[in-house]
Amino acid sequence: MSVIAQSRMSNDTLQLLGDSVVITANRYARKLSNVTVPVSIINAKQIQEIGAIRLTDVLKEQPGLTMTSGFGAGVQLQGLNPDYTIILINGEPLVGRTAGVLDLNRIALGNIKKIEIVKGPSSSLYGSEAMAGVINIITDAANAIPLQATFRYGTYQTMDAGVNHSIVSKSISYQGYYNYYSTDGFSIRPNSTSRTTTPITRYTIQQQLKYHFSENTNISLSIRATDEKVKNEISVVNGGATITSYGYEHNTDQNFNASFNHKFSNKLKTSFRGYLTEYNGRQDLLTVAGVPYYDLLNHLFQRIENQTDWNINKQTNLIFGAGTVLEGVKSNRYDSEQIRKTNSIGYGFTQIELNPTKNLIVIGGIRFDKNEAFASAFSPKISASYKINEHNKLKFSIGQGFKAPDFRQIYLDFTNAAAGGYSVFGSDQAQKVIAQLMNAGQVGTLYNTYYQLNTLKPEYSNGMHLSWDYESGNKTFLSIQLFRNDINNLIQVQQVAAYVTGAQIFSYLNVGRAFTQGVELESKYQLNQNIALSGGYQFLLSGDKDQIAQIKAGKVYTRDANGYSRLLTVSDYVGLSNISQHRAQFKCNYHDQKGFFANIRFIYRSRWAVNNTNGNEVFDNGDEFAKGYISVSSAVGKEYKNGLSIQLGTDNMGNYVDAVNLPNLPGRTFYGVLKYQLLNKK
Amino acid sequence: MKKSIQNFAVGLICSASMLACSKSTTTTVMPVTAVRVNDIPADTIVGLSAQGAPITNGKYTFYSIEKNAIVPNTDSATTKWDIAFMSTRIITNGGTSGIGQGGAFVFTGLFDALKTIPTDSVFKTDNAPSSYAITTGSGKGWYNYDGLTNLITPLAGRVLVIRTASGKYAKIEIISYYKGGVTLPATASDMDKLTKQRYYTFRVAYQPNGTKTF
Repeated sequence: MSVIAQSRMSNDTLQLLGDSVVITANRYARKLSNVTVPVSIINAKQIQEIGAIRLTDVLKEQPGLTMTSGFGAGVQLQGLNPDYTIILINGEPLVGRTAGVLDLNRIALGNIKKIEIVKGPSSSLYGSEAMAGVINIITDAANAIPLQATFRYGTYQTMDAGVNHSIVSKSISYQGYYNYYSTDGFSIRPNSTSRTTTPITRYTIQQQLKYHFSENTNISLSIRATDEKVKNEISVVNGGATITSYGYEHNTDQNFNASFNHKFSNKLKTSFRGYLTEYNGRQDLLTVAGVPYYDLLNHLFQRIENQTDWNINKQTNLIFGAGTVLEGVKSNRYDSEQIRKTNSIGYGFTQIELNPTKNLIVIGGIRFDKNEAFASAFSPKISASYKINEHNKLKFSIGQGFKAPDFRQIYLDFTNAAAGGYSVFGSDQAQKVIAQLMNAGQVGTLYNTYYQLNTLKPEYSNGMHLSWDYESGNKTFLSIQLFRNDINNLIQVQQVAAYVTGAQIFSYLNVGRAFTQGVELESKYQLNQNIALSGGYQFLLSGDKDQIAQIKAGKVYTRDANGYSRLLTVSDYVGLSNISQHRAQFKCNYHDQKGFFANIRFIYRSRWAVNNTNGNEVFDNGDEFAKGYISVSSAVGKEYKNGLSIQLGTDNMGNYVDAVNLPNLPGRTFYGVLKYQLLNKK
Repeated sequence: MKKSIQNFAVGLICSASMLACSKSTTTTVMPVTAVRVNDIPADTIVGLSAQGAPITNGKYTFYSIEKNAIVPNTDSATTKWDIAFMSTRIITNGGTSGIGQGGAFVFTGLFDALKTIPTDSVFKTDNAPSSYAITTGSGKGWYNYDGLTNLITPLAGRVLVIRTASGKYAKIEIISYYKGGVTLPATASDMDKLTKQRYYTFRVAYQPNGTKTF
């Protein structure tokens, strides 16, 4: 039997995942059942079954994850914004964020082995901004399928074509991946009135090579490049005038990494990793009036790292490592697009895993970052798991993370001439530029916040989680998790001054203290040999602590049904914007021995606050909400023994659309997939 | 009825502590009722230029609080009006704006809770174009402007305390800047956001007896 057929059969049973291997949680491979922090794994099979082609497609169906829109598709984890989650490919970070959001549509899924999601700041060993978590996308060089071709076509002329080919021998593993994607999909920009479908074309190429010098020494190289072109027609309203523009957007993203791995003995191994990535985004806008406008973002990130794993004895595992990061950003939204703003970070980390008894695992770790631009900081964490008996397990983790201000928060120097002439200045620029503007007589008023402008400090977070897992007979799995995140020194955009014209001047200040907390429930149940059910639910609360204090002090007002002011009560308060209190998903999966499969999936998201319409600057029940919704998707398919497989699917069957608040959710779409795998005849 | 009992109670408290409110206790407190005034136009947008810029007449709408009526523009140089509106700017009949005794300040609190204008309050007068008694600008006076949605929202918990052209007192709570008395949703069309703005809905309480008590 072919290797792929074997793997397919083993995947046909419900993934209770206890035996799956996780890399991201501990920075080394561990069985999921021995991991002490909250982790979800999505394997290639699950990705294929739902017909997912971009990273967004699969993340939106995961418990506790919410997709955000605006500046591309981002992911909200445990109620925290996209800038608090690191996206890794094979352990190396992707860069090129707009307003803190990394557009997850950039990432093609055709050669993914699995995706690991680690929640909470206990993932801080990966770097300073992983306060919400880490999403690690793992591609597979050692894929045993010599050749695989996939073609998918669907609504909005969405086309995805991919080819993977692999060579695996004793000393060499090679995989090449080529993907072409094009669509007339949905797009949105702030202040845009025309939310037109926008033609996008994307190419992705990845080449991976692993060479084994000996059993103990290997080297691996990977290069991945994406190229994205977007054509857009945009209408912007400026003081009542509608200006139509034609936009051309060209984004490229290249990653190169090399690693050298050596095993000194069964107890000691080390790896050196070098990583270089560059993101280049350029948007050109041609208005009818003929005033050209462009936006440029270039982000270069280089990293060298060493990690050593030492298995001291049966009860003790130790890892330690150090690295250095050099990064820089060029943008025409800074004072000069010619000069690269740079930063360097030196860091070290260590982690110890102890198994004092058979049922107890304790892991402690710490990371130290020396940031050139900011004060140095430690990110400690501790986690533990305790097996009560064969079925029940308790897990606990607590950790601290920090997030240094990003380039835009320091260096931004941006005036939006197209939308009312407002300006946003980074903390490094604000005082200098506003002083110049004042000399030129352009500043009308200075706000109190202007006098608070200062060098930005990092944001700090504390996160903890407690969970109980129940597993029975490889048929039933239930997990209940409580979590809480506290963030201090939140960096927020604040109005600091106004132009003579009344247009606003914004900058960044360390002003907020926020929290998110909630309960997450995950369950899986194997009904019989063919049918598996799984469901998830998240209850999430969030809030700005300063706002709550103001409300309690009787200083925040709202309006009653007549429009008359009244005091706001804490029970009116809904917390942070863009956060749904309830989220649920349910999936029913059918498989049989003949390769037939079918599934139906439900996603529910309750209402979320989008706009402060009653002018009190906090989100309460009197504000504008996006409506809650349910989205239902389904797919059927068959895999033939000769390597051919077909699949038909429909997403968002109820045709739910909300063009303003869910610009990334098109209406009902249909698609078909044709796949051929040249099977290994061994 | 409830209101007059409240005012009676205020009178009792005041007479018990003569130091706190020495003057107002000597005058009979008349109950004042608030009236709601709907959709006062304030230099509304009458068209669009060829380039799409909004066109207005650039004129104030003058309003008499005492008569609860709009005053013709020809009476702008008289004391017949107390306040006037032009887009988000509100002027009072005094200072550089008029020949009356007008003035104002913005009080933070609830309309009903403002029973007596505090004795230490400072009424400001207009000093165009550098400053106005009712501070202009988003988040500074009576409204907030959202640059993303292009909407003007009156700040909740703000009361415009007005001294009229004849030196009497009134209090105003602005409810909406849009026609129909409700702020438009963010999703409203750009055309609606243009043509339905600059209509004031507010409630006003006027004390004709010259005291600072409502």
